[in-house]
Amino acid sequence: MKSRKTTAWIALCASTLLAGPALAESHGMALSGDLRIISDMSNPAPRAVMEGMVADFGEMHPDLNIELTIVDREAWKTQIRNALGANPPDVVNWYAANRMLPYVNAGLFADVSDLWEEPAFEALASTKGAMTINDAQWGVPYTYYQWGIYYRKDIFDELGLSEPTTWEEEKANCQAILDSGRKCYTIGTKFLWTAGGWFDYINSRTNGYDFHMQLARGEIPWTDDRVRQTFANWRELIDMGAFIDDHQTYSWQEALPFMVNGEAASYLMGNFAVAAMRDGGLTDDQLDFYQFPKIAEVDYAEDAPTDTFHIASGAQNMDAAKEFLRFVVSTENQTKINAGDALGQLPVNANAEIGDDKFLQQGFDMLSNNASGGIMQFFDRDFPAEMASFGMEGLQEFMVFPDNLDDILARLEDARQRIYK
Amino acid sequence: MFPTPIEKRSRAAQLSYQSLLPLALILWLLPLLAVANFSIKPESDFVNGNYWGLPSSFDLFANYGRVFFESNMPRYLLNSLLITIPTVIGAVALSAMAGFALGVYRFKGNLLIFFMFIAGNFVPFQILMVPVRDLTIDMNLYDTKTGLILFHIAFQTGFCTLFMRNFIRALPFPLIEAARVEGVAEWKIFWYVVLPLMKPALAALAVLIFTFIWNDYFWAVVLTQGPDAQPVTAGITEFNSQFRAAYHLMSAGSIVAALPPVAMFFLMQKHFIAGLTLGAVK
Repeated sequence: MKSRKTTAWIALCASTLLAGPALAESHGMALSGDLRIISDMSNPAPRAVMEGMVADFGEMHPDLNIELTIVDREAWKTQIRNALGANPPDVVNWYAANRMLPYVNAGLFADVSDLWEEPAFEALASTKGAMTINDAQWGVPYTYYQWGIYYRKDIFDELGLSEPTTWEEEKANCQAILDSGRKCYTIGTKFLWTAGGWFDYINSRTNGYDFHMQLARGEIPWTDDRVRQTFANWRELIDMGAFIDDHQTYSWQEALPFMVNGEAASYLMGNFAVAAMRDGGLTDDQLDFYQFPKIAEVDYAEDAPTDTFHIASGAQNMDAAKEFLRFVVSTENQTKINAGDALGQLPVNANAEIGDDKFLQQGFDMLSNNASGGIMQFFDRDFPAEMASFGMEGLQEFMVFPDNLDDILARLEDARQRIYK
Repeated sequence: MFPTPIEKRSRAAQLSYQSLLPLALILWLLPLLAVANFSIKPESDFVNGNYWGLPSSFDLFANYGRVFFESNMPRYLLNSLLITIPTVIGAVALSAMAGFALGVYRFKGNLLIFFMFIAGNFVPFQILMVPVRDLTIDMNLYDTKTGLILFHIAFQTGFCTLFMRNFIRALPFPLIEAARVEGVAEWKIFWYVVLPLMKPALAALAVLIFTFIWNDYFWAVVLTQGPDAQPVTAGITEFNSQFRAAYHLMSAGSIVAALPPVAMFFLMQKHFIAGLTLGAVK
């Protein structure tokens, strides 16, 4: 009898969730027992955010005993399977899209499609695709950030250039920049992943989001002509000398000085680069952002790595876990945890407010309104780990020795046939 | 006498020595100097590519201030002390006793046990990573200082015993025999005769183990996580955010973390020298 009452309470609460904190007291009545959370938000700022969320949630539900374990972010990538396998916690952190595929297939994540049917979840539409596998949703997002081309507005102004929207304009801009004795793009491929960003964009702009995802899932051979077209487009830039020299020796941070000192005009990077560039002395007048231009007639797909919460299928306190997920995605919480003094990223909830920052605002607008192709999670998250590591090595090699393309693609195809078996 | 003291060599040799020594010293200290230089730079220098030049502004107080007052560094330093000191005491005490037993008594298997201690030193500890981690988890010692201490003691005792046993072997055995003739109990021989003679060895070993354990990174990363148990070597990475490496703060943190072993060396230098010359000037 009591449990039925509880369920009724939850249903009631859920339907009125949008009303927000005014109902916090009544939520508290419903939940009791233990809620075990393992989080990978181990860096100082995210850690404070996670602890803050648990404190807030705990305040709303005083009878609930929340046990939070924060695990090192890197270590969690190898520990999650163990943690979900034996004596699983109720709620865990993970990543969206193909990264969650193994855990969904192994039945370790709980299906949370019922949450996504609630009206409050309509505000999360931009990532619904990334949370969907087999027509069901398996978790909720709490933050993401945009990728795109950050450029030196002062250099563009000096050369009379404007933000390009097509590949032809992009190349024309680049030629003008090269003619002025600068490089078009800075990049540091020492740790490989930065090249993945270029591939994501050129491939999805050339062949579309669906093709890119099929490739990521191993359904398309690397030697496919459409993949070759992607590399051919990329090669146009490489042959122009658009990228800085010796980029394979720099980390992404070490490639920043080229942009800050004006030796390169732009940087395809995630929004986290802005803080570093500002530290380097670039003002918001000198720095601006544009969406990666169109190449073929396909919808814009954007890289926006999404961090997520999931419920373990073996969760002991399913009611509390679901309520916690509702709390995570609520407009108020998303605004709070993504604010400049917390994570400093984009809220996924379209109703959330974002800080007074032109890059966050442009990114939020781009992802909410102009990413109809879909949201990619970035090369090393969309592709299975092993394929991603082979793939990124190949991409780096291609950027340095574009003539090796046949060899590289054959190698990647070999890897694909072995890895996706 | 080899090597010939530099004062007795030709003038040319002296000159080249005097000019090469500072050069070699600078070369050798370059990484340290770079870290020291990094630690007083503002973050913007790294974004601007000013790695090796002079700092654009002098941020010693800002950087070290953040290390001491706005991070978990003090806590990590305390953890390091709480891990290192018990380990030094434990490893030295155990190995002094084991070394005494192996060095003084003749019994079956003496040599075998001694060889096992030596052989233990040849096991690369990386291959123990997985079993040791599982063991600490099963014993509920994962992510605790106790777990790290116990493991360090167990692992260091092998090397320490080798050191101690050989040192005790080199002591004049008649001292022990004389005490036995007087009817002194064995533990009293250890405590009143052997241990005082071992002081230089104890001091040298303590300094050595202190630096080993203080500088340990591998096990700190494998067996602990977070500021509750992690020592300073692993904790330094906390200055990195998810996307960016804070070189200036990590450098400042590294310098702070490196000070205790250096201080330890200077404080115990006398014992080091005593230990080195003990056999020579008799």
